[in-house]
Amino acid sequence: MDKSKRNRFLVGWICITALLLAGSLLLSSSAGHDETIQTAMQDAVLHEENQVSLFGLLPVNPGLISGFVVTGVLLAAAALIRLFVIPKFQYVPGKLQILLEQWVGLFDNMARSSSPWRCGFLGPYLFAAGTYIFCGTIFELFGLQAITTAGRSITLPAPLSDVNGAIMLGVLSYLVILSGAIAGNGLRGIPSALTEISLLLSMSFRLFGALLSGLLVTELVYYYITLSFVLPVVVGVLFTLLHAVIQAYVLTMLTSLFYGEMSEPKKRSGRQKHRSPARRPKTRLVKSV
Amino acid sequence: MNIPLNIDWQQILLHLFNFSILAGGLYLLLYRPVKDFMRKREEYYQSMDEQARQDRASAQALQQEYQARLAGVGAEIAQRRADAQKELDQYRAQQMDAAQQEAGEIVPQARANARREREKLLSSASQELADLAVTATEKVVLTSQGDPYEAFLNLAEKGVSSHDNAQ
Repeated sequence: MDKSKRNRFLVGWICITALLLAGSLLLSSSAGHDETIQTAMQDAVLHEENQVSLFGLLPVNPGLISGFVVTGVLLAAAALIRLFVIPKFQYVPGKLQILLEQWVGLFDNMARSSSPWRCGFLGPYLFAAGTYIFCGTIFELFGLQAITTAGRSITLPAPLSDVNGAIMLGVLSYLVILSGAIAGNGLRGIPSALTEISLLLSMSFRLFGALLSGLLVTELVYYYITLSFVLPVVVGVLFTLLHAVIQAYVLTMLTSLFYGEMSEPKKRSGRQKHRSPARRPKTRLVKSV
Repeated sequence: MNIPLNIDWQQILLHLFNFSILAGGLYLLLYRPVKDFMRKREEYYQSMDEQARQDRASAQALQQEYQARLAGVGAEIAQRRADAQKELDQYRAQQMDAAQQEAGEIVPQARANARREREKLLSSASQELADLAVTATEKVVLTSQGDPYEAFLNLAEKGVSSHDNAQ
């Protein structure tokens, strides 16, 4: 690109940006809000007002609708991949094959390394949970709209920013860990799993808090028109991507570590209270993330 | 029951229902097929690796076998040479024995033959002498005009000299 072309591009770009800014500022007064920021943020947490009807049967939180949409999209994508991509897999993989193998291999290796003695169920669970958290968190970037029972238009949030979704995944992960303890050590494994009962709360509310904080910040940023330039690129896209990766990794890592620790066959000679010194600090470290 | 944060058991169960569908679907559609393929590929490369290892082991065994054979060839040659020498010596000894035995048989027979020849010659010579003497006597007696004894002696001397010349 020569100098004159570059100058013309710069002038055009600045003009368009200035026009957009002016239009946004002029239109902001007429757009208005029918709820205050306090109400909007409180509702993002509690969902007392903005609920969405589930097939006309009952009003539910928007996060549940997001969950169904994410599940539908993921299953459709998986079916397409199963039908059109996997049959063409080669021993020397292409780019998409590498991506899929890495995606599956990441959770499979996580399960194998954390619980080498029992990982048949753990791998698929981690894969599903990690995929759900990652894609569910990314989902809020697309800004799909839904109509609430009060007739408002809202953007569908991440499924796990709904406290019910976060509790479901946290409790389910704990139950998976408990099942590993029972499968590995029978009824003797239950007490050791019960000592980690705090995982129920920590896993549930870690997810909820992390994703909700992202939602609240985004809500806050988009509420004010003056914050809607440049800043969303950081808080909307980058933070969401970071959230998606970190939360998917943390929950699956915690689940796999605790599952491996609980399902490890223990000898009867009082080894139940003894834990491997190499493993214990690792789980504590991850818990603190 | 009023639970804080609007926690709703029904919605938790709906989330669980949703997640169970997702987990099952992802397992059947994505996780298991991809893992099956990865396992298949791993088995393929492991079998290749195993095959290569077996080939290498057999090649090494073959090499060792040939090296051992090569090392044993000198000893084998020496052994065979010794065997051949031994066989040759035996054959030579047998030939010598046979020759000596044959010689042992031939010499006495030759001696016997020679003795028989000699005796035969002697007897034939005696006969000739006798015949000669008779013939001479007859000639002397029939044609004698002088002393017969003197004539006989002269004739006898002639006959002996002619016999010696004939021999």
